[in-house]
Amino acid sequence: MNTSFTRRNLLAGTAGSMILGRNAWAAEAPTASVALSKCNSYGAEVLPMLSAMFDQIGGLGRLVKGKTVAIKVNLTGGPESRMGYLPIGLTTWTHPVVIGATIHLLGKAGARRIRLLESPWKSAEPLEEHMIGAGWDLSHFTNSASNVEFENTNFLGFGKKYARFNVPKGGHLFPAFDLNHSYADCDVFVSIAKLKEHLTAGVTMSMKNCFGITPCTIYGDNAPIDEPGQVPLGGRFPIHSGSRQPSKCSPGEHDPATPRDGGYRVPRCVADLVAARPIHLAIIDGIESQTTVETVSRNATYVKPHVLVAGLNPVCVDAVGAAVMGFDPMADRGKVPFEKCDSTLRLAEELGVGTRDLRRIEVIGEKISNVVCDYRKASATARTRRG
Amino acid sequence: MDSVNLVPFQWPAEWHSAQQLKLLANTPVNCLFCDNDAVSAAARHAGLTVIDPKSASPSPLAEVKWDAPPAPRVIGGLVWPSVRMSPGARRDTAQAGPTGAPWIDSNAWVAHLARVRAKGAPLWLSFGAAQKKSTIDTSAYLTALVDSAAAGARWIVSLDPAISKGLTQGNADATQTWAAITRMLRFFEDNRRWAAWEPWGALGVLSTYKGDHEYFGQEVLNLSARRNLHYRVLDRTAPPPERPLDHLRAILYVDPEVPTPAWKAALASFAQKGGQLILPKQLAAEFPAEATLPCPVAGYQSRTCGRGRISAATRDWDDPYFLAQDAHSLVSRMHDPVRIFNARSLWEHYSESADSRSAVLQLVGFSRGSYDSVSIRAARPWRSATLHTAGSAPVRLNTVTVDGKVEYHLPDFSNFAALEFQS
Repeated sequence: MNTSFTRRNLLAGTAGSMILGRNAWAAEAPTASVALSKCNSYGAEVLPMLSAMFDQIGGLGRLVKGKTVAIKVNLTGGPESRMGYLPIGLTTWTHPVVIGATIHLLGKAGARRIRLLESPWKSAEPLEEHMIGAGWDLSHFTNSASNVEFENTNFLGFGKKYARFNVPKGGHLFPAFDLNHSYADCDVFVSIAKLKEHLTAGVTMSMKNCFGITPCTIYGDNAPIDEPGQVPLGGRFPIHSGSRQPSKCSPGEHDPATPRDGGYRVPRCVADLVAARPIHLAIIDGIESQTTVETVSRNATYVKPHVLVAGLNPVCVDAVGAAVMGFDPMADRGKVPFEKCDSTLRLAEELGVGTRDLRRIEVIGEKISNVVCDYRKASATARTRRG
Repeated sequence: MDSVNLVPFQWPAEWHSAQQLKLLANTPVNCLFCDNDAVSAAARHAGLTVIDPKSASPSPLAEVKWDAPPAPRVIGGLVWPSVRMSPGARRDTAQAGPTGAPWIDSNAWVAHLARVRAKGAPLWLSFGAAQKKSTIDTSAYLTALVDSAAAGARWIVSLDPAISKGLTQGNADATQTWAAITRMLRFFEDNRRWAAWEPWGALGVLSTYKGDHEYFGQEVLNLSARRNLHYRVLDRTAPPPERPLDHLRAILYVDPEVPTPAWKAALASFAQKGGQLILPKQLAAEFPAEATLPCPVAGYQSRTCGRGRISAATRDWDDPYFLAQDAHSLVSRMHDPVRIFNARSLWEHYSESADSRSAVLQLVGFSRGSYDSVSIRAARPWRSATLHTAGSAPVRLNTVTVDGKVEYHLPDFSNFAALEFQS
């Protein structure tokens, strides 16, 4: 028997024990209740519905009273794009009514300051301008609570320096991230996502929403090699492809020899991000949405799942969201919706963020089976109709 | 004939006979650039105006004699308006600009700047097949024509050899292309009123656009148009306009050079009355400013100045693309006269009549295909909006309420559409 230990054996052994360890963490991953509600429109019903849901998960007061709250919204892609004539909030972006209602309820619960955050694609424009570009009325947010602020987190922004976030348990892809100060200068972090599929990561909900917290001045195309750029000059393609490392001032990935495949990398990066920058409140806008992809696209189909999902654990919330879309949250690479990628839910679970096992998640409100909107069936039907 | 009404056409080198004048019959063309004596004589006899190309040769923008007697200013050194294609890339693959949006070559900014300098003289833009790197099809001709016309200028219609020959031989494709060109020419003649309306925008862009400031000043105009930032050109080589600048919300002072006393007084007064002055870093100390204000745009410091504000850069401006973006953010998209969705490679031209009771939004398409699902949201509450496209009767559009705001949903169109608003 050959007993010599090669570097390959050693790495395989290490990886094996890490997987074993991670499976153990997964079994112990925390759980939290998830509120699931039917909500038929973006009308007046959203506010009382969300209020009731927040009560169902323990109330906002204990979470936010006297605190600074940062909210990462999902405003991916250009603000002037639409699926047909539909406003982008109906299909692709978190709807402004859901954001406004959340701000109002956070303010009412005593939040001292509320900061809306997003990193608009390739841009250092003020976040307000990105929203105005979509035709949004900002007073809808600023009048919903006092001390509402906005920040584009795609670069240094109003901060003096980037804040470093270490990934607990080492991380799958990155050991740490350097992010805009707003992700550190907050007591409570909220992710408000849209219930969507994702071309690279299978699904995008409260966790994948956080992919956009990475500043493109460090992690994006054309970021300087050594130091962060002043403004973003490209998108996050390098995280997808592994074509380059972040600017050297920030920690590089663990192992540049791992697959340079978006389906491997993006889910790992997202899991690392949500472990490093924990989400305290996860909300998914699934009142109206789109199938197939995460951005405005002719390949997408407009759907109306008519649901809102909220909870204190993003993995649990996303597991419920995945089930609402007709997917099995326990599925992994090779199975719908992760045909070509790893499951972000599983990877986050392995980092101990939360469980994706619906048997361990208390769903309050609607039964999942009553509100399932099968995204794959919806897009297949639409394709057939289009011929 | 008054030169304002001349519709110029470059007589093709492939056309040798006065017989070919019949190809211009029943078209809006009434002015030839022609050096063929026989053709010129016949054209004059037929009532056309003939210009000897040697007497009106095109000049690059920087060399145009603006103080010459009233006559069309013929500008050359231009591009063929189009989406720039990647050299060696897959067929029909467009080059991307810094935004990822397709890179568009347009002469609109030249026309806007020339319009200020020409003081009412007609503007004729001269470019032809030599400036077009790829195939010139019907769509390319229409884009060339509307890019000039929507900016208030006229393209000296110039046909490439293939279509010129094709027309003399009765080729069906060439005939169809020529029909499309003349239909579009007719359309703009029928709507000539729009050319007299003033381009409207919340931002004034102030530069000499000359010498050391030529490249940067002109590129700011070009790249502002590229992001559909509506601007008005202010020329620092001329004294401040007699009309107060109050109709603007902000003025971007591009050149890092101290203004003349007259301009300095005009700008200070503009800020005192409530306007925003956007200054290069070098001029921050030139204007009295008071309390510091929060500034949403990184790289700027805002201070009060009377009822207005001064936003001075804290770093050097080295990229006109980012300067145009910063200026748009500082003045805010909130003050755009229109918001357009699914614009893709559409360029907007917005102008208002002198009495402000009418406005027109002209949409110039740079893509070959048709535009679908384009929505328009106007800042002003107009009484009506009528859609004009070449070859079709005007259509009054119904309003659609989206997110509590009035919008107009345009039907599919190609190359060009105009939305005329009435109060």
